[in-house]
Amino acid sequence: MQKQDSPPLSYLVATDVGGTCTDTIVFGSDGGIHIGKALSTPPDFAHGVLASIQSAATPMGLTLDDLLARTHLFVHGSTVVDNAVLTRDGARTGLITTLGFEDTLHVTRGAYGRWAGLTEGQMKHPVKTDRAAPLVAREAVVGVAERVDCFGDVVTPLDEAAVTAAVRHLVQDKGVEAIAVSFLWSFLNPAHEARVREIIEQVAPGTYVTLSSDIAPVPGEYERGSTAVINAYAGRITRDYLTDLASQLSARGYAGATMVMQGYGGLLPAAEAADRAVGMIECGPAAGVIGAKFLGDLMGDADVIAADMGGTTFKVGVIQGGQLEYAREPMVDRFHYIAPKIEVVSIGAGGGSIVAVDPVTRLPSVGPRSAGARPGPVCYGQGGHEATLTDVMLLIGYMDPDQFLGGAITLDRAGAAAAVASQVAEPLGLDPTAAAIGIYRIACAQITDLIREITVERGLDPRDFVLHAFGGTCGMLAAAFGEELSVRRVIIPYTASVNCAFGLISADVAHEYTTTRTLGTATPAAEVNAIFAGMEARARAQLLAEGIEPHRQRMEWSVDLRYCRQVHEVTTQVHAAAPLDTAGLARLVDDFEALYERKFGKGSAYREAGIEMTAFRLTARGLMPRPKLPVEEEGPADPSAALMGRRPILDLTSGGMAVGQIYNFTLLRPGNEVPGPAVIHTPITTIALHTGHRARMDRWRNIVVTTDAPHIDA
Amino acid sequence: MDPMTFSIIRHRLFRIVDEAVITLKHVSGSAITNEGHDLMVSLYRADGTLLMGGVGFLHHLTSAAEACKAIIRRFQGQIGEADVYLLNDPYTAALHTSDIYLVAPIHHEGRLVAWSACFVHVTDIGAMNPGGFAPQAVDIYSEGFSSPGLKLLDRGEMRQDVLDTILNMVRSPEMVSLDLRSMIACCNVARDRMSALLTKYTAPVVDEACAALVEQSETLFRARLRALPDGQWQSRQYLDVQGETARVVLTMTKTDDRLVFDFTGSDPQSRHSINCTKWAALGGLFAPLFPLLCYDITWNEGVIRPVTMIAPEGSIVNCTRPAPVSVATVGAIQSVNNAACTTIGKMLAASPEYRDQATAVWHANHFAIFKFGANQRGGYSIGILTETFAGAGGARSFADGVDIGGEIPNPISRMANVETVEGAFPIRYLFRRRAPDSGGPGRYRGGTGGEMAIVQHRAPAGGIDYVISGKGARHPMSEGLAGGYPGAPNSYVWVHADAEAAPGSADRLETIPGTPEPVSWGVYPLRGQDALYVRWNGGGGYGDPIARDPAAVAADVTSGVVSARAAAEIYGVALAPDGGADSAATVALRGAIRTARLAVPEAAE
Amino acid sequence: MTRFILPTVATDGTICTCAACGHALGPAPWKRGAIRRDLPLAVAGGAAYDTGHAGVFLCQFICPGCAVLLDTETAMAGDAALDDRLHLPAAAN
Ligand SMILES: [Zn+2]
Repeated sequence: MQKQDSPPLSYLVATDVGGTCTDTIVFGSDGGIHIGKALSTPPDFAHGVLASIQSAATPMGLTLDDLLARTHLFVHGSTVVDNAVLTRDGARTGLITTLGFEDTLHVTRGAYGRWAGLTEGQMKHPVKTDRAAPLVAREAVVGVAERVDCFGDVVTPLDEAAVTAAVRHLVQDKGVEAIAVSFLWSFLNPAHEARVREIIEQVAPGTYVTLSSDIAPVPGEYERGSTAVINAYAGRITRDYLTDLASQLSARGYAGATMVMQGYGGLLPAAEAADRAVGMIECGPAAGVIGAKFLGDLMGDADVIAADMGGTTFKVGVIQGGQLEYAREPMVDRFHYIAPKIEVVSIGAGGGSIVAVDPVTRLPSVGPRSAGARPGPVCYGQGGHEATLTDVMLLIGYMDPDQFLGGAITLDRAGAAAAVASQVAEPLGLDPTAAAIGIYRIACAQITDLIREITVERGLDPRDFVLHAFGGTCGMLAAAFGEELSVRRVIIPYTASVNCAFGLISADVAHEYTTTRTLGTATPAAEVNAIFAGMEARARAQLLAEGIEPHRQRMEWSVDLRYCRQVHEVTTQVHAAAPLDTAGLARLVDDFEALYERKFGKGSAYREAGIEMTAFRLTARGLMPRPKLPVEEEGPADPSAALMGRRPILDLTSGGMAVGQIYNFTLLRPGNEVPGPAVIHTPITTIALHTGHRARMDRWRNIVVTTDAPHIDA
Repeated sequence: MDPMTFSIIRHRLFRIVDEAVITLKHVSGSAITNEGHDLMVSLYRADGTLLMGGVGFLHHLTSAAEACKAIIRRFQGQIGEADVYLLNDPYTAALHTSDIYLVAPIHHEGRLVAWSACFVHVTDIGAMNPGGFAPQAVDIYSEGFSSPGLKLLDRGEMRQDVLDTILNMVRSPEMVSLDLRSMIACCNVARDRMSALLTKYTAPVVDEACAALVEQSETLFRARLRALPDGQWQSRQYLDVQGETARVVLTMTKTDDRLVFDFTGSDPQSRHSINCTKWAALGGLFAPLFPLLCYDITWNEGVIRPVTMIAPEGSIVNCTRPAPVSVATVGAIQSVNNAACTTIGKMLAASPEYRDQATAVWHANHFAIFKFGANQRGGYSIGILTETFAGAGGARSFADGVDIGGEIPNPISRMANVETVEGAFPIRYLFRRRAPDSGGPGRYRGGTGGEMAIVQHRAPAGGIDYVISGKGARHPMSEGLAGGYPGAPNSYVWVHADAEAAPGSADRLETIPGTPEPVSWGVYPLRGQDALYVRWNGGGGYGDPIARDPAAVAADVTSGVVSARAAAEIYGVALAPDGGADSAATVALRGAIRTARLAVPEAAE
Repeated sequence: MTRFILPTVATDGTICTCAACGHALGPAPWKRGAIRRDLPLAVAGGAAYDTGHAGVFLCQFICPGCAVLLDTETAMAGDAALDDRLHLPAAAN
């Protein structure tokens, strides 16, 4: 790719630290794309980041230092916060709250915290359920006298002496290193919380402080307080991690800026991200959705279901009308928090999912238990003895025992067959092949059911969508469950193996601002404009300070509205020109009504009670340059140059094993078309096609699967 | 049948119920449905028997089956495709009038193949008190609209005259209309999804899978029963309304693979609206049975077959018309499910193999408090205090109950944030927390209940009013297990303000200035500087309290959920100056407790 | 073979015993062989149990051998003790 005499090349480097792998994608100013991969290295994630960048640099003929010296921007996403919470590796944290409400965090709105995050099966078994172990010990919660009411007016002034005593108690007696502050109604009047910060700085300087009114200025004291606690708990680790990474990169010669991905799909400069730990939660999967959106935009698909299935989890995000979906009740581990976050739903289903027959019900199942990376599937020969979905895939011909990971491992077909025979086929009285086929069908059905539920939850119909399949396992199932869902097309993107890293470079800088106030829809437009004007002034100053000139700044307004006496709030984009006039406000209300009916179904609107606005949201964007993906013109349809051979594979359409054609992805050319039954082996996955399916390589080297069959609703 | 197809159909039936629940919550948008999860959706077979019960308020699963059967009997020969039927008469099948059932047939290729049924607690039903619970009702006639079965939608078309008649009888017709629409949307989703399933797999295959599913549940449940010891276990619940006490008495007998629940000995029906009908009692005993005995078995007709109920006619658990029943769901029905939870818990605990599935009673006593009045934003508000859904977990043989952890019959409820309530009603909370000493003492402590106090705040009318159906302030109802104590009882107190005293930042009942007066039943004002204090019951304990780990007791004292007095007197734990347990003094205290226990003369009952 | 009526009370089909110390409580109903102590609710469990109304008791059934609490009941005066027992084929218990 590199030419000796070209003008100096510069690079954009994006690295995503996931639970298992750290992925890198490098874009050259010449249009070249380079990919790197390394294992993640918790808790010292920076190590894996450098290794991953190194692994991209080596095939480019560069050293790590060479590459970094020529890099103008580093974009980063990391699972560091999720990891700190899941492993309970954060700071010893205390909480100062309103007197009389000290239990709010631990009581989790009643049973909510006991069942949230559990599977339906677990919910049906309440005797075996408990809350997750809290991040703050109950004895590290102190209530102080103060009270603000629902209008933001002070009912009881802050007892400053009590605050001083509380801080001393927490720091000296309880040894806390971080303090979260969360008072009732602080999002309407943050003065008391701000004063507590000042007192902490005097009494115990150096203590890490998070105010709920800073981190989540929205109603709901349980979720807001929980957000402040998570942020305080993971704050120092996040800050130290980003600082350490910056110094390691700069020691290797990197002189550019570092941008950090947020769960809402926008970038923040590293210095700002360091103080918003909760913002980084699940930023990798969010980047994956951003990447899918970028591809969707490129290919002219505004409605996309992004499905990612690797070794342990199946993750789904939805893009509708080019818009991202945000999580209503986000959680990390089993803790609720409030921060704008792209909705990504995950279940425990992946290649490593254990397939078994329940000894009591004699029902076959896939997951949720997983063999993980170690010992992994039986066929990996690393000591795994429980049959997994991957073993099933091998038995139905979707994996080539000799070509796995480019031939690095020879898969143990006999071992897999023995495990499936004894653990699945015999208990069911089936022959091993029939059992393997049945397990494949069950996996497809479970994913179909999950995606249906996720789309129904949003009032959407999967038939309107294109499905993007990412991850090592998804390609083997996507054509099958895509057909059952009757999606328009299934696409396995060229960048599928590093999709989250790819998403990082398709994102913009973005800041989210929220003002919570309840106003009727008869409110004069000027009052609404004034709310946004205040937020915009802050946003523009912020973007300018980050070096984003006014012409790259974009202000997007949206408003949360609801029908009075209803609980569902719908965030509605302001489409009319800002500032709003009466007609613009009226259009906002109309848009809300249309959106509400679409989301919650016909007849769900309760107009008689009136409509109110409850929150005003500003997304302030700093546009980043978009990478240009290399394009090859499409040639003839004949794929025979890539044909590697034939072998028996499962053909779901005919219901059994059939002779399928085997293709090598790297030898396919844009325009080539592959009819099912067939499989296409790519370096990281297999794409399985059944009779009636047709795969075509497009000009970006994405594989596009369509079906000949008329849509059958599942 | 092919196990793979069976597994797929089973999973899909489960998801169909799920999708229908999502639709119901979406369209309804009300707090009781969305926060309290006071709803239910289930699928029934063509004959009305339960096929697939969802995770909702579980005492409805069997009653809705009876509702299906009642509709089948009444409309035999006239059941059309896309019809929707309404039934809310407690003497036919419903629990109380405000829990309306919508029952909808599912046809395939012209044949009736299944039913869906759902319920929500509608905003109002035209009873003499607003909100559906009518503590002042004297008979079923004062409990609002009730129908033993009517056709609401005829082949998909709303019968507007019928709808208008219903809406004409309720206080908040728009909200009730929305409640009904949410249930219709739910029926539609269930029907559409079932149709797709039937088309894909054909009616005979789906029917075979359904039959197999019922068969499987029965086989598994009978096998589980056989693994448990044969015997009888008893329990007793006291239901107190304004000084009148009614008993629910239960003898559960397990013989081989059958269970008999016999309520003989229970008191005659009450003049208060706490009674329940026999279908409601049946629902009440199945509510804990499903999650306690069938946590890994599909909840359907197969689980119902091995169970028999005996409920004497004219008793509080099988009242005769026209006895009032509007408070049944938090009255006799809840006592039935507490009683069943106790006997099932004892039976499980009697088996070393199943002991870890046993639990003391959770949250035994709901308190329905509906507040209503002009709000601070120029509108009118009405709604339930969702703290009644907050609950308390019963202790288990291996762990404490979950503090404010919900309840067994409605496994996935939650309560609203204080800010949500204060934003919607002109009230202010003084405090809301775990209630000290409310969790039943035991080797494993019952989960605590909670306590809270509210005052009016900037109410345009000077205050609001509330309907309270708060029975059971005289008896602990969350029974303990294996020597564990019951959770502390509920308490409802109206603190009348003294002349000038303002509640300020009082953070417990004792510091609210004024004169306390217990209240429990009827309609009351909340005005001026007066406060309403509510404490709700904790869960039952498990095992002897003096066998509890002293360090756990000390930690409970530190976090304020057990008083130092209770630690000493009940748990026999002495505290050291650093807040930890003083081991020598604890040994002495526990010795003294044993001595006191043995000092009582051995007595026959 | 030892079977349990409750985790705290065992039986061989004829005689019930304390599961903790083996003390014989006699034939069913086992509560006849236990010490029964009726505590008025107001003094049974701290302030939270004091409802301000008399007539309700926390009944404790205690092993005479080791003083362990075998079972508790909420009861009003005059109500018979609950009768939990196993139905074993071997004995008329
Ligand atoms: Zn003993």
